[in-house]
Amino acid sequence: MDFTLKIWRQESQKAKGRFETYKITDISPDCSFLEMLDILNESLVNKLSHPVCFDHDCREGICGMCGLYINGHPHGPDSAITTCQLHMRKFKDGETITIEPWRAKPFPIIRDLVVDRTALDKIIQEGGYVSVTTGGVPDGNSILIPKHKADKAMDSASCIGCGACVAACKNASAMLFVSAKVSQLALLPQGKPEAATRVQNMVAKMDQLGFGNCTNTYACEAECPKEIKRSNIARMNREFILAKVASEEDLQQ
Amino acid sequence: MKLIQFASITKKIALAAFGLFLLLFLPVHLGINLCLLRDDGGEWYRNASHFMGTNYIVKVFEIVLLASVLLHICLAIYLTIENWLARPVRYKVRTKTKTPFMSRYMIWTGGIIACFLVLHFINFYFVKLDLVQGKYSASIEQVDKLFQQKAIKLQQGELNEKEQAALMAQYQAISQISPEKMDKSQKNMVNLTKEEVIQYCGEDFKHVEPDFYTMSKELFANKTYSLIYLVVFVVLGFHLYHAINSLAQTLGLSHRKYSPIIDWISVFYAVLVPLGFAIIPLWFMFVK
Amino acid sequence: MNTLSSKIPEGQLSEKWTRYKSSQKLVNPANKRKLDIIVVGTGLAGASAAASLGALGFNVKIFCISDSPRRAHSIAAQGGINAAKNYQNDGDSVDRLFFDTIKGGDYRAREANVYRLAEVSNSIIDQCVAQGVPFARDYSGMLDNRSFGGAQVSRTFYAKGQTGQQLLLGAYSALSKEIKAGTVKMYERREMMDLVVVDGRARGIITRNLQTGEIERWASHAVVIATGGYGNVYFLSTNAMNCNGSAAVQCFHKGAFFANPCFVQIHPTCIPVKGDYQSKLTLMSESLRNDGRIWVPKKIEDAQAIREGRLNPTDISEQDRDYYLERRYPAFGNLVPRDIASRAAKERCDAGYGVAPSGYGVYLDFKSAIERLGKDKVEARYGNLFQMYEKIVDVNPYENPMMIYPAVHYTMGGLWVDYELQTTIPGLFATGEANFSDHGANRLGASALMQGLADGYFILPYTIQNYLSDQIYQERISTQTEEFTQAENALRDKLETIMSIKGEKTVDTLQRELGHIMWEYVGMGRNAENLRKAIPMLRELRNEFWTNVRVTGDLTSMNPELEKAVRLADHIELSQIIAKDALQREESCGGHYREEFVTNEGEAKRDDDNYMFVAAWQYTGKDQEPIMHKEELKYEFINVQQRNYK
Repeated sequence: MDFTLKIWRQESQKAKGRFETYKITDISPDCSFLEMLDILNESLVNKLSHPVCFDHDCREGICGMCGLYINGHPHGPDSAITTCQLHMRKFKDGETITIEPWRAKPFPIIRDLVVDRTALDKIIQEGGYVSVTTGGVPDGNSILIPKHKADKAMDSASCIGCGACVAACKNASAMLFVSAKVSQLALLPQGKPEAATRVQNMVAKMDQLGFGNCTNTYACEAECPKEIKRSNIARMNREFILAKVASEEDLQQ
Repeated sequence: MKLIQFASITKKIALAAFGLFLLLFLPVHLGINLCLLRDDGGEWYRNASHFMGTNYIVKVFEIVLLASVLLHICLAIYLTIENWLARPVRYKVRTKTKTPFMSRYMIWTGGIIACFLVLHFINFYFVKLDLVQGKYSASIEQVDKLFQQKAIKLQQGELNEKEQAALMAQYQAISQISPEKMDKSQKNMVNLTKEEVIQYCGEDFKHVEPDFYTMSKELFANKTYSLIYLVVFVVLGFHLYHAINSLAQTLGLSHRKYSPIIDWISVFYAVLVPLGFAIIPLWFMFVK
Repeated sequence: MNTLSSKIPEGQLSEKWTRYKSSQKLVNPANKRKLDIIVVGTGLAGASAAASLGALGFNVKIFCISDSPRRAHSIAAQGGINAAKNYQNDGDSVDRLFFDTIKGGDYRAREANVYRLAEVSNSIIDQCVAQGVPFARDYSGMLDNRSFGGAQVSRTFYAKGQTGQQLLLGAYSALSKEIKAGTVKMYERREMMDLVVVDGRARGIITRNLQTGEIERWASHAVVIATGGYGNVYFLSTNAMNCNGSAAVQCFHKGAFFANPCFVQIHPTCIPVKGDYQSKLTLMSESLRNDGRIWVPKKIEDAQAIREGRLNPTDISEQDRDYYLERRYPAFGNLVPRDIASRAAKERCDAGYGVAPSGYGVYLDFKSAIERLGKDKVEARYGNLFQMYEKIVDVNPYENPMMIYPAVHYTMGGLWVDYELQTTIPGLFATGEANFSDHGANRLGASALMQGLADGYFILPYTIQNYLSDQIYQERISTQTEEFTQAENALRDKLETIMSIKGEKTVDTLQRELGHIMWEYVGMGRNAENLRKAIPMLRELRNEFWTNVRVTGDLTSMNPELEKAVRLADHIELSQIIAKDALQREESCGGHYREEFVTNEGEAKRDDDNYMFVAAWQYTGKDQEPIMHKEELKYEFINVQQRNYK
């Protein structure tokens, strides 16, 4: 298969970026998208130019490191997968493929298609955890958790932190990411004691970092590689209202 | 701005709450409008308008409602600007992500509705506030009452010449009033201009009310105007289609069992309410 | 010659760890604040260690090669984590978990370490539950278990097919909490480039900032290496692209011994290789073997027809299928340990019964499971794995059997550590896959997660204090010393040399060549002849690298080619000890299979008389032969037997 690639190139955060066009030929349909970029990069190195930088790691769709905005879709046109699981058989022979980095104010570009997503970690650091230290915890079975709740918590917890929700959202909102964590811990008894402060702190951090607001378009849900549901956002809204209205705990500064 | 200190979710909830108020008002408005369709020369419609225009509780709600409209609009604009700022560099390829119908364009459908509201206010609400001239109606009973009082004063000789002349002119005018200026029940004078109000009721008549019935009929007689109305109702439908389930989502009402019901209500509401409104211009265009 | 002291405490096996803990030296809280610890790596072992040490009050700096700790490859572990809870009342106990792990490791693991691992396994589950890890529950709300290869009890705790992810996120959340509290400082997109040793003690590291290319110095009282394994030496493996053995090689070059490098685990259930462009292999969880049955056609002509696409696997009748694992190992069937399952697949494919177009693939069939349990139940258990398979291969596994083949997965070998997880360099500790200690010659499924977390949560936080207790007199260490300058200059020289070669071959090309040599000559089946061939080839490859590699870009910005080149240079170094270690170990045990040493039935033949030792390699300088040290393994409490899964 042959493709024309239009790839965003940008030397550094401050540099001015531009699209470069590359032709690539003889790609197997079984080739993954990132392997196609590997082939492109090898040819670029052979031509003594700088290869295209892109983030990637596990290449099996779980680490959340890869993330390219391909032809108007975060993680490309296929559903429920990450970029690394996208295969070239999903494209038409001769197609022009435009590859852009995640675009959001809190995700500055580092180089080419690599963006800095540490903003997501910063939100987690504001309370995306149960404050236990190592040791001195009760037996695992002393905390009973109904199966359907454990399953739901697991569904929320399967977020891989790739940032596709932010990339897909027209407002660059991180609500799906934040709500997945808030939901997981709100569903489990372990998360209850800190629920009120957690949701307030994480939302405050999210706002402070410059993510947009949620306007319920659910583009995040449509593009999430792990199919995290929008009901998580509703749950977070509920938790937020409860925290503001019914709890005496305020934001921790 | 102080607003910045509110959490994004708080702002969102406020937007939703103001919207909710508007959602509750729309069926009331629709109900009154549908009175237009009754072939009673506008009796019900005028009565309803009278109630809405004079009841004190309604007046309080009117202020709340106006505030809701304004805040809903201002907040939406503010949030949209914030949202645009969250993505300073935009994508080259437009998004192809599938999202619920029209959900991405709430600010645009909302904008069209806001523009329409301005027009709508000029046509109707501003008449009531006496900022714009329209058509008026007056209860014959009230006019008569004032006339009788003045007549008594005349008999007791308390009126000066000028006042006497005015009273006479008023008497002559009323006696020659054309039948179109009377409603079916013969209880009200309707379809009056400002001058006619003075002519028929006297300068110091206080109980004049806008004649929304006649104004509506005249407006809808205008085909262009009716067409604008119809287009706006389609847009309103789009806006409402996303409104109720979005509201539920924002308020955290999501449940495996109840969410589908909310979705259905959302669809019904978004179809029935604008349809109800649209029937009126259609009726005036094709039936009357 | 340096004699290795494993520092195993005296006493009964079951009392050793308790005794150690009660007699070890501790650091008081006021002093903890004055002590700096560097942790390299943010996977299960690194994140859990940093979080625990931070909570204790030490000053911790943690270095992450990616943008976030959540990218670490621990996240990809699918199946589960073992613990001897005996919730199922099926006869499990610490002793049994200990015994299974030793036996699974083919009697090449250190008894005391493994017992300690089994002992703390239960605390790990409790800890993770308390963190909010959503382990699978049954309808009563209690924790659920599944069974796994190499065990006859159900002791594996799991969270869907994403156990590693959930455990890592648990450790990451603990780490995030400490970062917020300020006890741990996080440095992301940094790669360790060298270890700094001052007066014989590990005192710091040199890193390269992968975003800016800056070379940075960091000093501390102790350094913990938690950088995972070196499976990517084989180029194609189930490891992530960023996984590398570079940090371990740097420590090796600075004097830490490298133990049992030849013990590399080949995982039996991976998606077979498709083409040259392939960058990595995808693992299908071992848990699939619970319900899936592995087979190849009985008739060689059927296999050929399938390879050529003339026949569908579903066309082959039940009596023409060879369920070779069930045939050869009736007691364990499809649940034999990984090394055995891998070799059996290779044996069938080498004999011509392979079903992939390349000839290297066998079937993993869910037909009977679907008939027995129904599609819904199979979907509930393995749905996400099936979906993943379909996305990659474009074949629906509910209708057609999956195709699998073994691939390099885990490295049991690693930095040599004593009972305290300390390497031969004082102050340098190694945890998780980066050390060698617990899995012997083969790791059982669901044990890697257990070991990483055991080291990080419950072992290192104790043992490191024993070392640090006398470091309280040591002032904060300066990075402005001769040793740091030397290390930094050496690194700059190295990087500039690599950039200046401007040769003909790309890093990927050379890496593929390395992988090819390793897989062909030092792979699943090894023999002396091939190993002797491989060693000069690897030396040649090293020369080629240093004279003919082509790296573009510059030193002062993000440059993935340079990153890969540096790792490749270290991998080539490591590959040579792997080959040498494989050559010296004249026996077949666990993941190390020497074709010369087999029983009459074709099973691996161990040589306990001569090879019951840990081979710890010492670096002696560039172009010099490394020295092998032996740590004899004494089994005092366990009866050494031939492994038998029949």
